[in-house]
Amino acid sequence: MAEEFILTRDIIQDHSERMLNIKKYYPYFKLTENAFTQFAGGRFEELDMGYILMAVLRFFIEENNFRENDVTYEEYKAFMHGIYRRDFAIALDSDEEAEVTSYIFDKIKNDGKPFAYTYFDPADKKRKTVRMKLIDSRIKEDVICYYITSDAIEFYLDTKEIKDESSISVAQVLLGKMIAASNFRGGIEVIKRINSEVSRLKARKNEVLNILSYDVFEGAKAYEDFVNTGMRWFEDEQKLFAKNMELVKEAVKRIESYEGDDLGKKDTAREIFYLEAELKKAVNKHSELLAACTDLQIKADEIIEGAKYSKLRRSFNFKDALRTMMDDGDSTALQYMITPILSLNTKKQFSLCLIDELLMAKPAAEEKGEKIKEDKETVEYIYEDEVEERRISHNYVEIIRVLLEKLSRCQIGEGFDLKSFNFDLAGIFDGIYSNGDYYSMLVHMCQKKRYDIDEVAVDTDTFFEADLKEASKGMSDLAFELSFDNEEKVVIKDIFEISNIYFKRV
Amino acid sequence: MTNRNLEKALDIVSELIMGRAVEKKGDNASLYQEYQNNSEVYDMVGLILKKMNINIFEYNYGLYISPGENNKTFGYTNEELKKAIGVKLNRELYLCYFIIYNIITRFYNDSANYTYVEYVKQEDIIGSVDSTLAGIISNLSVLAVDEVEAGSFKELALVWEDMPVVSGEDVSVRASRGSKAGFVKLVFNFLTSEGLMLESEGRYYPKEKFKALVENYFETYKGRLYEILRGDKEDATH
Repeated sequence: MAEEFILTRDIIQDHSERMLNIKKYYPYFKLTENAFTQFAGGRFEELDMGYILMAVLRFFIEENNFRENDVTYEEYKAFMHGIYRRDFAIALDSDEEAEVTSYIFDKIKNDGKPFAYTYFDPADKKRKTVRMKLIDSRIKEDVICYYITSDAIEFYLDTKEIKDESSISVAQVLLGKMIAASNFRGGIEVIKRINSEVSRLKARKNEVLNILSYDVFEGAKAYEDFVNTGMRWFEDEQKLFAKNMELVKEAVKRIESYEGDDLGKKDTAREIFYLEAELKKAVNKHSELLAACTDLQIKADEIIEGAKYSKLRRSFNFKDALRTMMDDGDSTALQYMITPILSLNTKKQFSLCLIDELLMAKPAAEEKGEKIKEDKETVEYIYEDEVEERRISHNYVEIIRVLLEKLSRCQIGEGFDLKSFNFDLAGIFDGIYSNGDYYSMLVHMCQKKRYDIDEVAVDTDTFFEADLKEASKGMSDLAFELSFDNEEKVVIKDIFEISNIYFKRV
Repeated sequence: MTNRNLEKALDIVSELIMGRAVEKKGDNASLYQEYQNNSEVYDMVGLILKKMNINIFEYNYGLYISPGENNKTFGYTNEELKKAIGVKLNRELYLCYFIIYNIITRFYNDSANYTYVEYVKQEDIIGSVDSTLAGIISNLSVLAVDEVEAGSFKELALVWEDMPVVSGEDVSVRASRGSKAGFVKLVFNFLTSEGLMLESEGRYYPKEKFKALVENYFETYKGRLYEILRGDKEDATH
């Protein structure tokens, strides 16, 4: 039974997370599926979209994250030019090349839209859509620049590295092993990947700061997430960097004391020095990241504090208001914010079609008499106060019926008091003492001291008599008098106090 | 009340409704003086406009008016506004509102504090809308298809997210509904035609009218606006 439960839980609860992990691979398969078969009559079928995609992503990582430059379309075009020649050895004329380059770029950008696929979430019992972009664009100094998204970097790194909460730590462990095994060339590659991850975290830090500056609440969430997934590993990462630097220094010492083949020694020494230089760069970049994150911490605190103070001010805070609207999710409230700052709309619209009608409409040759119909309004409106009245009347009639029934059981000259009547009522109606109609009925009833149902059937003076008439339908020969005892109080629910009333049949 | 004062008050109201400036300097300087110095004229102008559900604000020696909430006669209906801006769908109109709101927030943090930003550019607003919707867009990475309600911010975010920054490689875009830059341009063109902004070489400067209406309207009606934010959109009798 327990095993079955675990199986079901694993299937249902973890499904969404699995789908999110698959998300980053989705654009790859979407792009590689029939990439060039339909394009230009299959002329470029020998090109491989999968390879091109990975190359373009690597190019963007190089430009965006290592050199910290955005990429223009011209730069991408120049990069692609090299790919056709070097890797596919196909000769394209300039028109063909421009055509296929633009086609590939549009595909990778997905025409500016995110790649989206839909799956069923069994936990929420809803269909959900997962979306991601590989390349995004922005305008910088009147030039459109393209940059790789952090999702795409993650995808790229995932295709070769083990995914962990700290890719840097994993890569460092790998690096340590490579240095120990004297695989310095492989170590250099690993360091490059570390640099790439550091750059991704830097980009993420900027994104977090950006969200914070516009939306403190969302920003605080993103910041917390960033702390949990990135910043908390910094200390470990620093230690591993120090450890790897030690390993490299040892390797340098070893190679200096090594007496052997000069040519092999030179090559190895060059690789070690290169590795050392790259590692120093990586340490520097990592330190920069640390400084940037400390800066983020300070700014996040400032922004959150500022947001707290602005809450106390009495002016209309636009960002607060926007956040309230966005939390509510209803964008129609924006209408109430914007339309009152527009000018008056004094230009009244007149449909041009009406001009045709005006010109075409000929006056009738003979004027026909018009019949005046009597319009009767048939719609019955029930207003809120009428609903209330009906309810009150209904309650009064029910209570009066109990009263009349009790009176009819009495002989002439006999009667009972309010306490006894209340006892009967409480037995019939639950919660009668919480019903305001009961008290208002008593007030109405006390307007007169004598009631005769035969007289009431003919003429009604008060609201109470109208309800008495309704309640006494089918009855006759019943009259009663009320007398009040101001000395004796009937206390209800420890709150209400009413003078006792004596009902006497006459 | 004298006929002369009533006449002056009506002159001021009619000038304002016709969209002409009533300021300390200019053609209507005498009317402005009358409004400032004659308390009866001042009261009458206020009363007439109040009865017409029109707001009047004084800013920097000038008078500015705007339609009151739900003003069926002088306000824009959604359809009229769609036509005036050049969009077709309701969600596009609400996106325009959202962009205008973002333009306001570039200049104002709150109704009492001007940020001293001199002008904004198209790309600033694209960035601003991107950032404001960032929270929602990041949530859109996982999205329940049938949960996107009409008129919701998710719907706006989807419209925005699904547009490319520009439709071609040309940055000097024309106003259109096909790209983010084109959309923002549509809104700027509308605000310029409304006399709220002034365009110079791709820079958009807020005009006095913009400052007058934003600072005064949101300050004066903040109570009602917070009511609306709490979901009370029906009651216009504040």
